[in-house]
Amino acid sequence: MQNLIAFIRRLRFLIVFLLFQFFVLSLYVTYMSTPRSSYFTTASFISGSLFEIRHSISQHFQLEENNEHLQKENIDLRKSSSLFLYNTRHSALHAADTIYDQQYDYIAGTIINSTTTKRNNFFTINIGGIQGVEKGMGVFSSNGVVGIIHNTSEHFSVVKSVLTKNINIDVLLTEVGASGMLKWDGKDPNVGNITGISNDIDIPNGCKVITRGGSGIFPKGIDVGFVKGVKTIEGEASWHIDISFSQSYASLENIYIVKNLFLNEFNKIQN
Amino acid sequence: MPQPQVYFLRLLLFVFLQAFIFNMLEISPLIHIMITPLYIFLLPFDRSVISLLVIALILGLGVDAASNTFGLHTSALLLVSYLRPFVFRVFSPRDGYDPIKTPSIFDMGNRWFISTFSILLIIHHLWFFILEAFSFNEAILVLEKTILSSLISFVVCVILQTIFIKRT
Repeated sequence: MQNLIAFIRRLRFLIVFLLFQFFVLSLYVTYMSTPRSSYFTTASFISGSLFEIRHSISQHFQLEENNEHLQKENIDLRKSSSLFLYNTRHSALHAADTIYDQQYDYIAGTIINSTTTKRNNFFTINIGGIQGVEKGMGVFSSNGVVGIIHNTSEHFSVVKSVLTKNINIDVLLTEVGASGMLKWDGKDPNVGNITGISNDIDIPNGCKVITRGGSGIFPKGIDVGFVKGVKTIEGEASWHIDISFSQSYASLENIYIVKNLFLNEFNKIQN
Repeated sequence: MPQPQVYFLRLLLFVFLQAFIFNMLEISPLIHIMITPLYIFLLPFDRSVISLLVIALILGLGVDAASNTFGLHTSALLLVSYLRPFVFRVFSPRDGYDPIKTPSIFDMGNRWFISTFSILLIIHHLWFFILEAFSFNEAILVLEKTILSSLISFVVCVILQTIFIKRT
């Protein structure tokens, strides 16, 4: 009898342990795939505000570098803007533009918290639902693709970065025209992988990688990186491609969020 | 033995240190310093498993909420709290534990601390990295991470004790 009671007493601990463990693991699994609320993330008010304070101190350390990036981007934009180009056909340009319609809307934001060496790296940004950020929107910087919005609260959002296990952004190798999926193996924050490209296509080193725009999250043509090395996978008919990211995520600060204005239409016709 | 409010302040300190300092310290993808198991380890000998588990839940969720790990830290801490009594029983001194003492390196001595804490720390790190990777393809990476990170975490935990814990 004594032994039985002792046994049940020990089992009681195990039951409580398993109960807690089950709760926590179900939290982990749901939040990793499709988070329902923002309570246990840095998008919550308390964590978000703390990171905002921290950022307000640390932002000055990288001011110069960030300014340079923005300046460079501004020059590129000015070069392509019609205001700064010499107009050779006046009458044609003044007609209302019926050829081009705006497909993407952009929202500017700032990263206030990020990690790059964990297995799954999430960035916290300082804009949220009030600015029109929604789950599933694409995020990129002036140098390259950054990630996808994972979760939003009123004032903050969490970005699932490309330095995550299952980011699966569809990318295109420009010179060969082959498309694959972007992955990250967790070893080096400057190196990504592409899977799903058949190994009978020759892939030159240094080949540029851009987003394909196939899922309607990113527009086509956002930089991802350059092919660094190509390896064969034993027993599989596809390449294991290493790419070096064009954006170094450790020093990233200014980002843009893409809103696809035709996304509903796009999804409707695809399903 | 320290007062309950000491343990409460220490809880806040550990959440702060883990979430805002050690989780932000980006040395290499192989090194992730985790000090929260030390908090669970340093709780008094006579704490029951249930209270350890509740404390682990609070501590873990605090760290998880501030670092977007969605329960990873909590899960590993729950395992440490559940296994602590078993490990303590295996390494218990001949006449049991003195309830006045705490399981710190000063009270229990270097040899006892190194053997018990390193076992719990390695289990904690291994569980954490296995859950984080969630696939068998990354077994080697997980092992590398566990060995390197637990070594460094151990050193950091010893240093932390010399800074924050009063010698008795």
